[in-house]
Amino acid sequence: MLNTEGSKPIYIQISEWIETEILNGNFKEDDKVYSQYKLAEMFTINPATAAKGLNLLYEENILYNKRGLGKFVSSNAKEIITDKRKNQKLKGLIQEVVLESERLNVSDDELIEMIKTLMEERKGELK
Amino acid sequence: MNVVECKGLAKHQGSVKALDDLSFTIKEDTITGLIGRNGAGKTTLLKILAGYWYESSGEVRVFDEHPFNSLTVSANTILIDDQMSFSNSLTLQELLQEASNFYMNWDMELAQRLFSYFNFDSKQIHENLSKGKKSTFNIIIGLAAKCALTIFDEPTTGMDAAVRKDFYRALLKDYLAHPRTIIISSHHLDEVEDLLEDVLLINEGKRYLHLSIDDLKEYAIGLRGKSAIVRQWLNDKEVIHSQSIGTDRSYVVVKNDFDHDRATRLGIEVSPVSPSDLSVYLTNQKQGGIDDVFSKREFR
Repeated sequence: MLNTEGSKPIYIQISEWIETEILNGNFKEDDKVYSQYKLAEMFTINPATAAKGLNLLYEENILYNKRGLGKFVSSNAKEIITDKRKNQKLKGLIQEVVLESERLNVSDDELIEMIKTLMEERKGELK
Repeated sequence: MNVVECKGLAKHQGSVKALDDLSFTIKEDTITGLIGRNGAGKTTLLKILAGYWYESSGEVRVFDEHPFNSLTVSANTILIDDQMSFSNSLTLQELLQEASNFYMNWDMELAQRLFSYFNFDSKQIHENLSKGKKSTFNIIIGLAAKCALTIFDEPTTGMDAAVRKDFYRALLKDYLAHPRTIIISSHHLDEVEDLLEDVLLINEGKRYLHLSIDDLKEYAIGLRGKSAIVRQWLNDKEVIHSQSIGTDRSYVVVKNDFDHDRATRLGIEVSPVSPSDLSVYLTNQKQGGIDDVFSKREFR
């Protein structure tokens, strides 16, 4: 499940994995998430690394702490994650698309047209 | 609490300085990877920590004692390497029984479970085992001894990929159940990096880097692009490694201390550098690479 080939630090992959579990509804509001030891065991990683991933989510208010009990999903966790992903991941992907279009001399209008076509196609498939 | 403390540690072997002014500390209950090239001084350091060898100068403390001739260090430390020698008049099963007399925390149940999982025959003799099987038996001793300081020096020598994977998982599971201080030296940093909390990189007997594995992963960044653009970008940066690709492109590894977006916008590809590659780049000799050994010859 983790990409150990080394592109992203493992603790970030851990936090992203938990985020995805929250978005999928596998962890719901006020659910307790896995402890650093459980995560370490699941993914064969050092528990300190797992703890770092959990702390990242705590700092972003996606998780909250209950002393001695562990970390739990915040009430607005889904919103925070969606906002964050929009701002970071989507932006990054779009940047790549724009750069590649430049290299291939694709005009702005042509690129926007391509995106629109793709979105139309998706809508057709989902019907 | 620090389990290991070294200050200005040196070991001379003839005219060679195997260790040279080495200083570092290792915290209790962490897993540290000891990384370095062949001859960097890894084994020398581990033998001094385990109390096998005497240092030439400097200070070394293990459990706050000088390890050489220390009963505390001997009782609480185990060093697993491929030079472990066992009596040939005892069978493997008898060796496990004997080991249980030596180590106060010996976990016989774990030893027996691993023994049968890895398909050992009780009546076998250690000397007759294959290289990989010897290493596997040795790590059973290392795990079951449950020593407060457990040291593995290249533990996976000769093991096939499947057994190595089992060993890493066994090590982690046992560490989670019984946290202790573990030092593991390995040439397969890519295989062990997920298990590690910290990495100690030594080069020519000196400490080169000592940081968390996560920081090591973000320590450097690779830049790939047109040589002219990459070169321009480099003027104020510390170059760790550089190589040319084809005629007009370069791959350069620099310290990761700048905003990647600007490089990306210039059309430079930015990619992470694996800890394993990074250690090689950091400890490369200054005189160039293997290509320089061979006389220049044009291939057509």
